[in-house]
Amino acid sequence: MKTVKILGSGCANCKKLEAVVREAAISAGVEAEFVKVTDMKAIMAYDLLSTPGLVIDEKLVSSGRIPTQAEIRQWMAG
Amino acid sequence: MDTFLRLMNGGAGNLAAYLAAHVLLCLLPAFLIAGAMAALIPKASITRWLGRSAPYRVSYPAAAAAGSVLAVCSCTIVPLFAGVYKKGAGLGPAITFLFFAPAGNVLALAYTGSILGADFAFARFALCLLFGIGIGMLMAMLFWRDDASHDKQTDALFAERANIGPAATGVLLSLVAVLIAGTLKVSLLTATVGAVTLPLPWAEAWQAMLFQWVPFDAARGEEGVSVQGSLLIVLLLLIGLSAWKGLENIVEGANRWTWIALGLTAATLLIAAMRLTPHADGLQFALTGRALAVGLTLWAVLHYGRRLEADAWQAWLWESWRFVKQIFALLVAGVFVVGVIRQLIQPEWIQNLAGSNTLLANAVAVVFGVFMYFPTLVEVPVAHMFLDLGMHRGPLLAYLMADPELSLQSILMVAAVIGRPKTFTYVGLVAVFSTVAGLLFGAWVDGANPAWIAIGLAAFLGALAALLAWTRRQRATPTHA
Repeated sequence: MKTVKILGSGCANCKKLEAVVREAAISAGVEAEFVKVTDMKAIMAYDLLSTPGLVIDEKLVSSGRIPTQAEIRQWMAG
Repeated sequence: MDTFLRLMNGGAGNLAAYLAAHVLLCLLPAFLIAGAMAALIPKASITRWLGRSAPYRVSYPAAAAAGSVLAVCSCTIVPLFAGVYKKGAGLGPAITFLFFAPAGNVLALAYTGSILGADFAFARFALCLLFGIGIGMLMAMLFWRDDASHDKQTDALFAERANIGPAATGVLLSLVAVLIAGTLKVSLLTATVGAVTLPLPWAEAWQAMLFQWVPFDAARGEEGVSVQGSLLIVLLLLIGLSAWKGLENIVEGANRWTWIALGLTAATLLIAAMRLTPHADGLQFALTGRALAVGLTLWAVLHYGRRLEADAWQAWLWESWRFVKQIFALLVAGVFVVGVIRQLIQPEWIQNLAGSNTLLANAVAVVFGVFMYFPTLVEVPVAHMFLDLGMHRGPLLAYLMADPELSLQSILMVAAVIGRPKTFTYVGLVAVFSTVAGLLFGAWVDGANPAWIAIGLAAFLGALAALLAWTRRQRATPTHA
């Protein structure tokens, strides 16, 4: 069971990121719990300079861009 | 019913005018440039100058550059602002960044230039840069205690270094060249090189019908829809449809629709750069110097674009498409509404209130800018409306500086990061600076002696310095230990 956090205030990229990650989780067969973090203070607790940020099991794996399915599957497996 | 029709016509007419060739030649490249900046310029290439240890003379210009290059949407503005403030160079550069971002980014500048004129875009850029740095420094001095009490956090967030690659530089420069070739008004570009007449006998009748559908009053600065305009609108719709299928999942790779959308975009730019005139015997396509220049620069974009890595150009197209989705629909709706409202405003109202460059006119323009909120870029057609209705260019600049900088949304966002007292100080400073900027630009437009303007600016800066000296004296007598 992975905990996936989507960091972002609700901009277009954040929604897109969530859709992409959900798809990747299903195709990789990984069970994951999704948490949307919209509070700016909570987002800034992670070291990032632009949203959307993707946090898997409390580790920031990407920020400021939308990763590909392949990348996300790799992070999920790790 | 008549009134309703008149209002709808006003909206449609305004929209049609904004989808005309000169606006497209500016907006399409500007969206691609904004996307390229967001995707191809590594943030670390600028943010490394924004760390805690950066000296003032580096961090303030770097903050302005970050506002101009990295920040076109709130996804970047808020986190970068909070990051620079809390973990990086501090309050001053963070404020400079925040102030400069809405006015200094490529979309705002290109759009302002094509609608209101290059002098206006330049004044907006220069005054926002100067005053953005000024306001940042003032805030840093007023709240010096706050910066000093910042806990000793590490610079890790800003330590990363990166450079922009040669292919990405080539793409960016060629895109800027497309923008310039498309919008510059010089005889070399507007001259006709050759002309072809296609046997399309319905063209003239179609033009007559378009003018009937969207009646316009040239005396009020309105533009009708030409045959060229109608063709461009159709092309835009086609781009929209193909982009939806081709760019929505571009991160996973390109498909057939991607290439169709890109091909249509290039075709739209080329057609917008030509001159189409309907004749009795057909439709004349006049090949202008502009069309050649646009074609050449587009080829350069393709040349460099092909040398980009797959994930780089995919990210570039995605970011451009995202900006289009985010901004274009609101812009179209906003332009329509502006056209409707314009039918309701009497020019006398505006002329009485802000027809000349007075302190009151500038202050009114700033207050209007603070209390009205328009979506990104819609402030420009609003300004255009005021200009047509007789507003002086000075107060207009004051409005253009205050409106995107200050809105309820941005005030709340800033308050959440830096607290209320600082936010109110910031709002007050922006209001004062915008009013002064309007007065100065207005005086310049009215043909005032540049020396007087310089004296005015010096007096304003002197007053600020006196204020600062006073606050420093206050500081010397500590109010609390």
